[in-house]
Amino acid sequence: MNGTLTIAALTVREALRRRLVGAFALITVCLVALSAWGFDRLSHSGSLTSGEQRLSEPQALIMFMFMFSFVVALSASAMGSPVIGADAESGVLQTIVARPLRRSEILFGKWLGLATVLAGYAAVVSGLEFGVVRIVSGYAPPDPVLVGVYLFVEGAALLSLALVLSVRLSPIAAGVIGIAVFGCAWLAGVVGSLGTTFHIAGLRDIGSIARYVVPTDGLWHGAIYYLEPRWFITSSVASIGNRAGDPFFASSAPSAGYLVFVVCWFAVVLAIGTFGFERKEL
Amino acid sequence: MLPNRSAEVDSTALRAVDSSGSESRSPAIHTVGLRKQFRATVALRGLSMTVERGEVFGFLGPNGAGKTTAVKLLLGLVRRTGGEAMVLGAPAGDLETRRRIGYLPELFRYQGWLTAEEVLLYHCRFLELERARRSGAVREALSIVGLAGRGPDKVATFSKGMQQRLGLGVALLGNPELVVFDEPTSALDPVGRHDVREIIRGLRARGTTVFLNTHLLDEAEQVCDRVAVVDQGQVVATGSLAELLGGRATVRLRVEGLEGMWWRDLPGPGSANPEGAWVVVRDVPSGGVPDLVRHIVERGGCVQAVVPEHESLEERFLEILKEHE
Repeated sequence: MNGTLTIAALTVREALRRRLVGAFALITVCLVALSAWGFDRLSHSGSLTSGEQRLSEPQALIMFMFMFSFVVALSASAMGSPVIGADAESGVLQTIVARPLRRSEILFGKWLGLATVLAGYAAVVSGLEFGVVRIVSGYAPPDPVLVGVYLFVEGAALLSLALVLSVRLSPIAAGVIGIAVFGCAWLAGVVGSLGTTFHIAGLRDIGSIARYVVPTDGLWHGAIYYLEPRWFITSSVASIGNRAGDPFFASSAPSAGYLVFVVCWFAVVLAIGTFGFERKEL
Repeated sequence: MLPNRSAEVDSTALRAVDSSGSESRSPAIHTVGLRKQFRATVALRGLSMTVERGEVFGFLGPNGAGKTTAVKLLLGLVRRTGGEAMVLGAPAGDLETRRRIGYLPELFRYQGWLTAEEVLLYHCRFLELERARRSGAVREALSIVGLAGRGPDKVATFSKGMQQRLGLGVALLGNPELVVFDEPTSALDPVGRHDVREIIRGLRARGTTVFLNTHLLDEAEQVCDRVAVVDQGQVVATGSLAELLGGRATVRLRVEGLEGMWWRDLPGPGSANPEGAWVVVRDVPSGGVPDLVRHIVERGGCVQAVVPEHESLEERFLEILKEHE
């Protein structure tokens, strides 16, 4: 356990020293400023009725948070993809592996360190965005903490995938595959939504299956749910029927069963990564 | 016949731990028929050798002989295909044993975004050195490798030679019982090489076993107690330098007062041939020079000069490889 924590501390330090966190901060400030401007226009343009404005605020926030979800996913993939492969290629890893550390400790320590950075980023970005939106428009989502948690877990899923891929693949290959998987999972979710809307079982099943193969889209829908006020869900369902087909709408939170599955998914992915790393020749 | 070929190794020596559980009498390194295959490429084809505790052991061989693969196997960085390897009385790669091993890899790279002190401190943490001992251990390591005063500098600002010195410092942390140096002077200038030799001698003086993987034969000649020559993944010769080089001296003689081809009657197994004013006698056995001189004097010759020419390790190394082909 000491080894894991030491590696995690080293990994966090690397993220801070290599200005990764600084780069995140810069991107975040730009995006938050953009969303502040957008919400200001929405609230003060005068072209919307009060009802339309009220309805548009949660929807706009979901769109902005989708943007942040993409940044988190991209960052998670970028952070996870070089973890093992790049360090093995450079020779840094050999000096660590020769120490009395289990390879599982090294892998999990690196995951823990990067997940800590990701959690910090998700917390800051959520807090900043919700705070700015509240100041500009007075709107606040009902469960901001849970939104941050789902955002983090979604990113952590992609981080885990990229990290596991990095055991066998080059950093570029692992990163590209990680991003492609995220895109495919989201697209499969949209396809599934279309299947639900038009009652096409095959398309609907694609969305359902994808959420179990890579849970990023399922977790994103968890974040959406906690971004929506209850009246918004009720009125959306009442006015345009069940919006289960809308990729930016969630009428229910992820089930407890699904959350258990997500925990198992993390365990299996990290176990596969550990197995691969244990057998990796350095 | 090569001296002390190590193909025949008593496999019972692998039982490093005796009935009382003591590991103290086990060799520092002991391998029997160690094999490693990377798909179609055979890197090691039955490597057998024994490195005793407290000795400086040179591991020599041409490029591609399998030296670095063997080192990585001993440290658990790669897995063996066959055979056995014991390090400090435990199977190679054993987690706890790694605490007692210092390692400088051939491809030495440390985190450029850390300072030299931080790199060493992290390795102290990996070794689980007591917190109170860490700063002292870091200072000592920096001082030994000639980086005192450079501790607060980022590794990224270091030259390759300084990074290799840092790697040496990392390998020395925690007073290891066995230090494995894989080409430890590849990036160093002559001063640095001298320093490394001094470090190795210092380690020997305190009883640390040093496993020196090098292709610099003069380096091995200066510091090693014993060497193994590796070729095509197996040990082709092993022994002390005296065993490898001894008994094969060449002697140049300048003699006056004898007529004819007197050198044909010289005693011993060596061959003698005139070269200008000199007679060169090859393969003179150890201690055979006085016999030669006595023989010449008894026959009325006047020995003007005797110049023994010992075969260098490099010459012997090339000879061994040629014999093995």
